[in-house]
Amino acid sequence: MKKITKIVGVILLFAAITSPSIAQAQLLKGGYFNVDWQFNIPIGNDYANRGSGWGMNFEGGYYIIPQMSLGLYVSYHTNNKYIGEQVLHLSSTESLYADQQHSIYQVPFGMAARWRFIEYGMFEPYIAVKLGAMYARMESETQVYTYYDKSWGFNVQPELGMTFYPMPSKRIGMHLAIYYNYSTNKSKVLTYNIDGYNNIGFHLGLSF
Amino acid sequence: MTKIKKLLPLFIMAIIATACQKAPDMEQLSTDLMVYTHYDNQCDFSQYKTFYIPDSLLKIDTRYTEPQYYSTSDPRARQIVEAVVSEMSAKGYRQVADRKQADLGIILTYIKNTHEYVGYVYPYWWDYYYWPMDYWDPFYIDWYPYYPYSVGYSYTVGSLVTEMIALKEADKETKQLPFVWTSVLAGIETSNQINIANAVAGIYQAFEQSPYINSNAQ
Repeated sequence: MKKITKIVGVILLFAAITSPSIAQAQLLKGGYFNVDWQFNIPIGNDYANRGSGWGMNFEGGYYIIPQMSLGLYVSYHTNNKYIGEQVLHLSSTESLYADQQHSIYQVPFGMAARWRFIEYGMFEPYIAVKLGAMYARMESETQVYTYYDKSWGFNVQPELGMTFYPMPSKRIGMHLAIYYNYSTNKSKVLTYNIDGYNNIGFHLGLSF
Repeated sequence: MTKIKKLLPLFIMAIIATACQKAPDMEQLSTDLMVYTHYDNQCDFSQYKTFYIPDSLLKIDTRYTEPQYYSTSDPRARQIVEAVVSEMSAKGYRQVADRKQADLGIILTYIKNTHEYVGYVYPYWWDYYYWPMDYWDPFYIDWYPYYPYSVGYSYTVGSLVTEMIALKEADKETKQLPFVWTSVLAGIETSNQINIANAVAGIYQAFEQSPYINSNAQ
């Protein structure tokens, strides 16, 4: 909880520093830019399935018609999980005893399409679909060695969110969204395999 | 241009933040060591009854040109050798004082200071140089070790390597001494010294995860 408070604090501090220069108007007329802290939970594998807030999301877009925007996104996230001492059978004749820190680092990026249901209101709910690629690093840290596997895959991320503009004319608001994220990456470390990365989570941040 | 200036701090922050991967809490990892074992699955360990273990521990230290040893007058070596003898006895093997009468030979090597070897390597370089094969018997002059398996491990500073040789299978034709079991305990050095507690615990673990080493197995 302390770490989450710290992350939110950093976002707010950053907003306070940058807002004087951007408070006069939105960054791009007819567009938006989001800077979010995110909470992410890997699902569908038990390698590092503990939720964490060690990630950020950045997204910008331009409304090509009043309801629909096209843009770009990039986010990154780390999930870690401690694994106690155990014997891993690396092959029929090899065994390894160790405790480990499992880690998954994911960086999805690509294009984002958004459809908003209300235009220029105080509340702007929307749905979005993001398509792109993802870089992933699956890692096992031990006292002595680090075992890792890097992979690339296709990424798709449906998202449901809302931007709250306290003063709609200024177009500076709070952003909240929940998402599901799937990537086709395949990774293998020691005796562990991940075939496809699945995540759920939420973004919380600022929209300009 | 004004818009670009406004966006610049956001993009700089994005680039800096994106470069960051949150490192796991390494302090959460226990001080226990890592234990790796590998064996020759063609070897029937139950056919052997006796073993011989030298009374000294080889120290690989590249600061010296000559081999260095911890003898059993050194309590560190003594406790490590005793742990191996204890485990071998518990598995039904009898220690013999004459290496010529032994079915199995055991070599203990402590990697004090050397370069890291990564990947699949045949570690004969130290056995051949530091543990001359004629140590086992004058007959073995010009013999060399034979590993029926590759050791998929890298050896780093602070590792204790235990190797088992099937002396009974010494091949007179090829002059090969087959190594049938390797154990690597990594991370047993604390404050530039062997951590005896970890080394002994690691030896026990190495035998525990190698149930095929048993003279009484049917």
